[in-house]
Amino acid sequence: MPGAPVEAIHGVPLFADLDQTELEQVARLFKRRTFAAGETVAKEGSGGAAFFLIESGTATVSVGGQERAGLGPGEYFGEIALIDEGARSATITANEDLVCQGLTYWDFRPLVMENAAICWKLLQFMVARLRSAESRS
Amino acid sequence: MTGVVPLVEARDESIFGSKAVGLGEAAREGLPLPPGIALAGDVVEAVASGEEDAIEEVARLVRDLPVPLAVRSSAVDEDGADASFAGQHLTLLNVASTDAVKDAVREVWWSANSDSAITYRQRVGLFRRPSVGVVVQSLLDPDCAGVMFTRNPITGDNELMIEASWGLGEAVVAGMVIPDNFRVARSGEVLARTPGLKRIRIRALPEGGTREEDVPAELAEKLCVDDAQLAELSALADRCEQVYGQGRDIEFAFAGGSLYLLQCRAVTVGGA
Repeated sequence: MPGAPVEAIHGVPLFADLDQTELEQVARLFKRRTFAAGETVAKEGSGGAAFFLIESGTATVSVGGQERAGLGPGEYFGEIALIDEGARSATITANEDLVCQGLTYWDFRPLVMENAAICWKLLQFMVARLRSAESRS
Repeated sequence: MTGVVPLVEARDESIFGSKAVGLGEAAREGLPLPPGIALAGDVVEAVASGEEDAIEEVARLVRDLPVPLAVRSSAVDEDGADASFAGQHLTLLNVASTDAVKDAVREVWWSANSDSAITYRQRVGLFRRPSVGVVVQSLLDPDCAGVMFTRNPITGDNELMIEASWGLGEAVVAGMVIPDNFRVARSGEVLARTPGLKRIRIRALPEGGTREEDVPAELAEKLCVDDAQLAELSALADRCEQVYGQGRDIEFAFAGGSLYLLQCRAVTVGGA
């Protein structure tokens, strides 16, 4: 089947509440993308084109030139810039050859707008991030 | 109409993109092109998605092309008068096998959907879903290659300006060398020959990809295009303007003693 493996999509909390048919619809929208070790996957301040789910390999998240976190298989990034059509909030760099499944803005937006379960999950993540940011400040 | 056709059958820009249709027109006019095929935007999307039917349809036509191959984007709104996507979308040179074409097509699709491409689209007011066609052509191993403007992009004079270097033309396009520079009157008279400094050339690798290699010292400042070749280029410029209209930006290569047209597009605003 084209797109991402359904089981990989099911493991993403954002899509966890979707039924099998919905999962297959979402999985079909993903396209594989590979990045070489050391390649900048997303650059802070740049416009955001896609949301990525890591299939294999690891990456580093940095903000303002400072490392903040690591990412590995099953983790995802890039959804914020797709929501507000704004700039990437962090830089993501591949530590090694990185294989991702990507969902572009053009597919992500109608998916969220047409699916209340995904929209609700997204809201919950945004609120969690907001609370986390407030608690740090 | 099928979405995978020989270049000579690529006629609709809204399906195959401007680059593919431009090359298709050149093929129909008998201009000297390396053999190639055009993929419609929906086929590229399907190949990028991993759809087996689309991958097999592409593979069926690619098998007839001598390898190695060059895989180039041909986005539907690419190379327009107001917004050039030339630097945003990918060209993959020296794709060594037909099996590797599907991966190259997927990379081209992503280049049209990359962060930098989207940022550019936002900036020029084209923030809509890109449709990217693809051209797959046999890759030449040229002795020399370069670009030719049928109108001087600096002075606006009605004369040819030609820049060329050893090996693949990407060394010129990417600014990796100081190319030889020629000015040729439309009568064919050579007005100026200025040797550049061409210390490296790009060559195709047998296993795919390209590499930079050192140019022998005696060739670095030696003109890579002779007067007979300038005459051939002059004739090609005339022919391209007859077919496409005035003000052309042409990529060319000399390989095995023959001149090939690689690309012909309108000079964008601001010239080079």
